[in-house]
Amino acid sequence: MPRRYGPYGGSFVPETLVPALTELEAAWRSARRDPAFRRELARLSSTLGGRPTPLYFARRLTERGGGAQIWLKREDLLHTGAHKFNNALGQGLLTRRMGKPRLIAETGAGQHGVATAMIGSALGLETEVYMGEVDIERQRPNVDRMRLLGARVIPVRSGRRTLKDAINAALRDWITNVRTTHYLLGSAVGPHPYPALVADFQSVIGREIRQQSRRAFGRLPDLAVACVGGGSNAIGTFRPLLRTDVELLGVEAGGRPGSNGAASLSAGRPGILHGSFSYVLQDADGQIADTESISAGLDYPGVGPEHAWLKDTGRARYVAVADRDALRAFHWLARDEGILPALEPSHALYAALREARRRPRTQHIVVTLSGRGDKDLAVVLRASR
Amino acid sequence: MVDRRRAARFAPTVAAFRSAGATALELGFPFSDPVADGPVLEAEADRSLSDGTRWKDLLAACRVASRTLPIAVMTYANPIWRQGLDRALGALAGSGATGLIVPDLSLEDSPAWRRAARRAGISLVLLAAPGASPARVARLARASRGFLYLVAHYGTTGATVAGAGVDLRPLIAAARAAAPRLPLVVGFGIRDRASVARALEQGADGVVVATALEERIARGASPESLGAWLRSITRPA
Repeated sequence: MPRRYGPYGGSFVPETLVPALTELEAAWRSARRDPAFRRELARLSSTLGGRPTPLYFARRLTERGGGAQIWLKREDLLHTGAHKFNNALGQGLLTRRMGKPRLIAETGAGQHGVATAMIGSALGLETEVYMGEVDIERQRPNVDRMRLLGARVIPVRSGRRTLKDAINAALRDWITNVRTTHYLLGSAVGPHPYPALVADFQSVIGREIRQQSRRAFGRLPDLAVACVGGGSNAIGTFRPLLRTDVELLGVEAGGRPGSNGAASLSAGRPGILHGSFSYVLQDADGQIADTESISAGLDYPGVGPEHAWLKDTGRARYVAVADRDALRAFHWLARDEGILPALEPSHALYAALREARRRPRTQHIVVTLSGRGDKDLAVVLRASR
Repeated sequence: MVDRRRAARFAPTVAAFRSAGATALELGFPFSDPVADGPVLEAEADRSLSDGTRWKDLLAACRVASRTLPIAVMTYANPIWRQGLDRALGALAGSGATGLIVPDLSLEDSPAWRRAARRAGISLVLLAAPGASPARVARLARASRGFLYLVAHYGTTGATVAGAGVDLRPLIAAARAAAPRLPLVVGFGIRDRASVARALEQGADGVVVATALEERIARGASPESLGAWLRSITRPA
């Protein structure tokens, strides 16, 4: 399991957490070789989660672009409404294997919180979710869902009261309760082994894209597009395609015009945040910068270390899409295809359509539609007024 | 913790610490995301940053305090990394600091930092925490310079622990065996006479008092009263 991606990654954490990280890595190493564990993961992915998710041809969206064909990898159809299920299930099973009775998680948009609450119920684990007060306000439906699924939602009032601060709070809880608690980190960020572990559980997305695109149009796509906050649905999409000639495009949140938004790869520089060395939005003193994005799930000043390396090596490209363009793409998909996407993948949809316009009809673009938009209705309606 | 707007009181406070018997000063530089810290130090870091505290204020504070006591700077990895390791450690040494404590620097990621510290003449202090195997404590003790910082409990800085807390004796024994001459200093949750006495009884050479002092500084305590309080928890009965 890689500890570093080029110079990026590592485990910059307080010493108290080191034994737990070592234990987690060992548990995953043994579990992934264990046929019983893999069977259980596959069985629940399918019977509880609904995998495989379809690859859908977006005919009317393609016509809107007037160029390359646009296909959607429908992670929004997964149980609990987003790709977060894949990782929550995998780490939930690992938690049971390690014999820990309690789960904690951070959440931004609430999708990871809901997935964690769900798996906590399904496996009988006590679950507490840290969520910034700002996000609690803008993603209300998910707060209610977590509570109904039996999790306790703990409001975080420090910092900007968004995802970054929720991770801080979860890390502090973990430092205190590390002997009984597993921290079910929701993105491909954090100290080793999380970036590798989360990418492993999310790689099912890219593996299915590989098989389904061969079946649907006889070959691999020309371009794969995914949104990047911490980067878990993107790394899950990209990783199984790394050794192919498929172009990879990650889409960050650009926020409002004139701001840096939350685009760590496009506007940040290498630094250390939440346990790993990667691109970080920061000031000249190394203080982490404030971010802003219409989508709570992308509103994060760091990014997974593997993306940092994919950027530096040129294997993947990363662009930023502004709030208003993500909103436009949200409405396009709603009106063209009858699908309400989450605001996070709406950023990817906008970039994909822009790419499609420049490319011939013979090309195929796969966009990972990482989650559904029910949680965002209030934000979208307010922004559209 | 360094705070630009409290610079005037800084020198008398350090002098009061020395008169009270302190042998060194742990000087915090605020970081926006201090995950090892409890609510008190987190709030103090926020306040210091909104007061406009910058890297140059840390260097100025080192120059002032190093006339009175040896200084170990405590800050997170990113503010140091952002300056560049050699540049940051060189500047700290040039301003009179003798040690550096980085609570989110793990042993595994520390080699480049230890080399840079050696070049600059700064002692890079590592932390050992409960739950570490004796072999790991031994590796930490051999790699640490200046002293080894023993974390007193499972938790963030300033937490109060119910009951007797963690038994530090196995950690202390493992560290002693690996590095017999390295001082062992206990921190996190040292807040009163009992916690000081307990750390020393278990075999520590010293203690770090941070949150409990910072709390009093935040409430506006005078240098004299800080010194008096420090003396009251450290002087033998």
